Amino acid sequence: MSAHPAILSEDQRDCYQELTNVAMGQAADRLARLLNAYIVLPIPKISVIESSELNMALRDAGNDSSVSAVCQGFIGSGIAGEAMLMFNDTSFASLATLMQHTGPLNKHAELELLMDTASILIGACIHGIGDQLEIHFNQGHPVVLGQHCDMNELLKRGNNGWDRTLAIEIHYTIEHVNIECELLLLFTEESVKTLNKKIDFLLD
Amino acid sequence: MSQGQIELTDIHWLMDILQNIDVGLVVLDTNYNIHLWNAFMDSHSGISPQVAKDKNLFDLFPEVPEDWFRKKAEPVFQLKTRTFTIWEQRPFLFKFSNSRPITGRTEFMYQNTSIIPLESPDKQVNHICLIIYDVTDTAVGRIDVTQAQETLSEIQSHDALTGLLNRTSWLTVLDDIHAEQIKGAAPSSLLIIDLDHFRLINREIGHDKGDEILKRLGAALKTLGGETHGARLGGELFGLILKGKNAEQAVLTAERLRRSLSTLNTSTQNNNGSTMISASIGVATWHASITSASEWLSCADKALYHAKESGKDRTTLYQHKN
Repeated sequence: MSAHPAILSEDQRDCYQELTNVAMGQAADRLARLLNAYIVLPIPKISVIESSELNMALRDAGNDSSVSAVCQGFIGSGIAGEAMLMFNDTSFASLATLMQHTGPLNKHAELELLMDTASILIGACIHGIGDQLEIHFNQGHPVVLGQHCDMNELLKRGNNGWDRTLAIEIHYTIEHVNIECELLLLFTEESVKTLNKKIDFLLD
Repeated sequence: MSQGQIELTDIHWLMDILQNIDVGLVVLDTNYNIHLWNAFMDSHSGISPQVAKDKNLFDLFPEVPEDWFRKKAEPVFQLKTRTFTIWEQRPFLFKFSNSRPITGRTEFMYQNTSIIPLESPDKQVNHICLIIYDVTDTAVGRIDVTQAQETLSEIQSHDALTGLLNRTSWLTVLDDIHAEQIKGAAPSSLLIIDLDHFRLINREIGHDKGDEILKRLGAALKTLGGETHGARLGGELFGLILKGKNAEQAVLTAERLRRSLSTLNTSTQNNNGSTMISASIGVATWHASITSASEWLSCADKALYHAKESGKDRTTLYQHKN
């Protein structure tokens, strides 16, 4: 059994924040180029959460309405985690317009939009963080967690083989249009130790 | 052994691995011409690397949807990012046969694909690599589970004999429609239908034929047209919601249903021809004085009770006090 991951020090937290700022800036830049729209850059939220709180964190993100989500695993240099991208279902109509989707906006078309956005956002963010830490992350294949579901339904399938871990929440919005999505990066408990070491090295 | 020889062996090994690995590898340039085509692609497509080389992907495989594929591949060139496609979006990119032709349950291979940028020494992305994974078993498993869940929820919410909704799920529908009524939707009506003397009929003509009558009534409720929700509430008691139908229209429907029941008589007659199928129907149209779905239901119940008490084989409309 591993020891409890250390609670982040103030410096470490700042460092994660800075790392994420750079990475999500890159991700937003790519998304902006894909969508040809101005992305509002949020302040990422760095927190250490208990597995029981994941529900709550996600529910905040889902804003009580129905959501669609994909997740994707990543791993490299002893650091592993999962990225989740959640879209508020009310966002799809605007997203379809921005992505110049033609044809009916059915569940299948929404899946395409979700996947296209996830590819860009998740990939750019993971690689942005990886580049700064000099880690090459391998990405697994994205998996659809659910479409038009309740948050509780999304999580029913998740196993909880961990107690507390590092979570990075990024809430993207796009100016003048009703698009809201939440990118959540969750690292495994084991990875946090390794990550902290890397961070400390950067801090020195 | 010199350094050069070791490197050559390494390349031989790498080539061997590329050839034998059980995923498809294709390298494409910006014009979507093929530069690498591994053995997986060769075996499954029947097109050898010699033939595939320098051919355009879309010419060689007209089934690959060009617009769609470009949308996934362009960001890889432009943004140097990986993109992915999964079988839920499109079961396959290349139409290959199932790799288990005998015991496999689908005709074709389900595929996930990754598209990764290949940087040239000058940091430009002029080539991309397409990786194709065979995910048939995963996909079939997932589809099976989804279907099983659908079947389960169908069983849970429907009556097995008639295929109509069961009481629980019908009451949920009634709740929803009541909520719409409160918001000012056009008045809807509720019918409770009870087959007269059904226990007697069952005893005289047998349970099999009795069930047959229930099924026929169920079928009649399903084919009424308009937005209707029929349910078997238990035994020989049925419920029917007629959305957007006023009292007059609802009574007409009730009468039509009763007439259609009488046509069952010839087919279900017993030896002495004395069995007559009939029904009593209580009708309650929504009214502003109704405050809950259960109150609405009890109005229809009262109307049914009245129809039974006044001699059966008739329709009674609940009269709201104004």
